[in-house]
Amino acid sequence: MSALLQGSSAEAQVVTVEAADRPLREVNREIREAVAAGHRVEVVEPLSRHNLAVGLTGEGHVTFRGSVGYYCGGLSAGGAIEVDGNSGWGTGEGLSAGHITVNGNAGMSVGAAMRGGTIHVRGNAGPRCGVAQKAGDIVVEGDIGYSTGFMSHGGRIVCLGNSRGSVGDSLWEGVVWVGGEIERLGIDAVVVTPEAEEVAEVDELLASVGVDGSGLDWKKVVAGQKLWYFEARDAKQWLMI
Amino acid sequence: MADDLNTPATAAGPGVAPEADARLEDLVAFGDGADPARPAGVPGSYARGDSPRWSPEAIADIQAKAQMGRYQLRGFSTFNKHLPSFDELVFQPATMTRLPLEGYREKCDTQTVLGDGLGKVEEPIVLDMPIYIAAMSFGALSANAKAALGRGARKAGTMTCTGEGGMLEEEREENRTLVYQLSPARYMIDLDHIRKADAVELVVGQGAKPGTGGLLLGMKISERVARMRSLPEGVDQRSTSRHPDFLGADDMTIKIEELREATDHRVPVFVKMGATRPYYDTAVAAKTGADVIVLDGMEGGTGASPELLLDNTGVPTMAAIPAARRALDDTGMTGKVKLVAAGGIRSGADVAKALALGADCVMIGSAAMIALGCNSPRYVEDYQKLGTEPGACHHCHTGLCPVGVTTQDPLLSERVDVEAASERVHRFLTALTMEASLLAKACGKSSVHNLEPEDLRALTLEASAFTGVPLIGADRPFSW
Ligand SMILES: Cc1cc2nc3c(=O)[nH]c(=O)nc-3n(C[C@H](O)[C@H](O)[C@H](O)COP(=O)(O)O)c2cc1C
Ligand code: SF4
Repeated sequence: MSALLQGSSAEAQVVTVEAADRPLREVNREIREAVAAGHRVEVVEPLSRHNLAVGLTGEGHVTFRGSVGYYCGGLSAGGAIEVDGNSGWGTGEGLSAGHITVNGNAGMSVGAAMRGGTIHVRGNAGPRCGVAQKAGDIVVEGDIGYSTGFMSHGGRIVCLGNSRGSVGDSLWEGVVWVGGEIERLGIDAVVVTPEAEEVAEVDELLASVGVDGSGLDWKKVVAGQKLWYFEARDAKQWLMI
Repeated sequence: MADDLNTPATAAGPGVAPEADARLEDLVAFGDGADPARPAGVPGSYARGDSPRWSPEAIADIQAKAQMGRYQLRGFSTFNKHLPSFDELVFQPATMTRLPLEGYREKCDTQTVLGDGLGKVEEPIVLDMPIYIAAMSFGALSANAKAALGRGARKAGTMTCTGEGGMLEEEREENRTLVYQLSPARYMIDLDHIRKADAVELVVGQGAKPGTGGLLLGMKISERVARMRSLPEGVDQRSTSRHPDFLGADDMTIKIEELREATDHRVPVFVKMGATRPYYDTAVAAKTGADVIVLDGMEGGTGASPELLLDNTGVPTMAAIPAARRALDDTGMTGKVKLVAAGGIRSGADVAKALALGADCVMIGSAAMIALGCNSPRYVEDYQKLGTEPGACHHCHTGLCPVGVTTQDPLLSERVDVEAASERVHRFLTALTMEASLLAKACGKSSVHNLEPEDLRALTLEASAFTGVPLIGADRPFSW
């Protein structure tokens, strides 16, 4: 038996699902059904497998007792996911609603193209964090990798640590907040002084995931808008000369 | 100074009377009826130009770049004159060695199934014909054009593809079967829309501009387009060329598994690419686990591309198809992974030739646009405003499409009458299918899918060399 039901109340059961070497489709179906029904799910032996908890809906909660591979929680439209370990590439890619917490580090492209919801990485995030993001929030307590926010359309990426090179490269209306040092800005990225109320909104976001960002010297990275129009006056920006 | 300008003779040589000298010079110069506008001593090309290198187009191109300081963009497809054409291949119908089927009485199967080969999918796509309408995004096309294509495809028993701009409500409603495209930019991609799709397509490239991302100029980023693509209104959108969450083919395999999980293994996964190294690219794409490979040759249409990519990149469709088929044969994937070919398909004869060369299905973009009303001789003054005329228009990138097909202007869009345009699309698709099956029957085939390279002969050395089809007369493929 793989999905273990505990407790008697129909509303908030705890379901245990073993991932290990079981067929992914079965594992995911059990997770998906339990989360859709609003249960709490514990996934044991996730063994860094790819594509766990893809396409969740509903109000339930799933905890992975260990690390997960690529695309954990990808294309989900609900649910709360907690990874008690590290996560691979594309964690929460295409997320439209819901919440993902990674207690360790997240690999490349966390929150890629997401359209809503919140992703919270307690450790560091790899390169291209929030790439092509459309909306929603990403909070990284540690450092962010190079090209974070690449071509982000909207939403916020908030990093309490330092940023590697090329942060905020080719942004549309996405915003990257860096509390620590910025190694190098991306093409067309500019740092602007945030308004007090914007900082208050960031503090609010951080408080909602239980993080204290007070006392940080926020750098708000936005588009310089030199890549927004295909006009010769901006040629130097896109030729990078 | 050299005397090759036709100035009247004035200077006289020593000892010659000036008037006599001028008269003689006049006689020599013009006595044989020469044109006074054409100086003596220069060839006939003096007025005409005729440099094959510095053609009027090349000169105008330099002048334009010198003014704008950037490369030029435009819609439609390549103008490169050196591409091979499907017209260089002809069918050899059944005669003594084979029996033809009755063209008007016997049945030739045209049903086309996509996504059944690997047995991974619960609901493969079943089309009534080996043709469907290519990905053309809302943004590139108007909402009315999208709706008309969807309705026309439904009436004809085939499908369309969303293109990269997200799924439009109207098109979901009108289409019976709809492919949902995930481009590298991932505009409006979420679970809700994925679950409404009948297939999901990862696009790696397209024939008109391989190696680059989508392009949509500000004139077409209306409020609705901006909302669907999460862009500021009026910006010039130049999308990414690489996907945000995978790089190589091994990652793509995992991505495809994710899409299968998100759709609960219900619908097929397509991979679309521009033809550049079709043999190897197809072999690698087949290995990613996709159900269908869509290969778009360099003749492929576009809403907007850098002109230099249209004319200087890619592999022509006719050459790409046999290479892709060889790759599937060599990797044992024929029958498992289906091959859809596109790029420059104009007629049922082109459809039949693409199938004979190895495609399982074809996709039409430009031809479907033309059936909708593109380049039709109406609103002629609006073509003139764009500096063009019906039959020569390629101005989709301007957003000022005179017939409302490739615009976001509400007034222009209304020029597409959805019902009438959908009926034209329907009739055109039916006519294409009829043409393709007529050729198949003449070749003795009870299914269009039984057409094979043996049914073809090449009229030119190039066509034979590009496709491996026997050269007509010689009856064997041109080879080195
Ligand atoms: C107006 C227009 C818009 C297009 N938009 C897309 C797109 O969004 N995504 C894509 O993969 N291909 C797009 N294409 C390319 C077509 O899907 C297809 O590959 C091509 O049109 C086939 O060539 P054909 O036009 O000669 O039939 C577009 C083509 C046109 C003409
Ligand atoms: S008529 Fe419209 S769709 Fe056709 S080429 Fe011109 S602008 Fe493009």
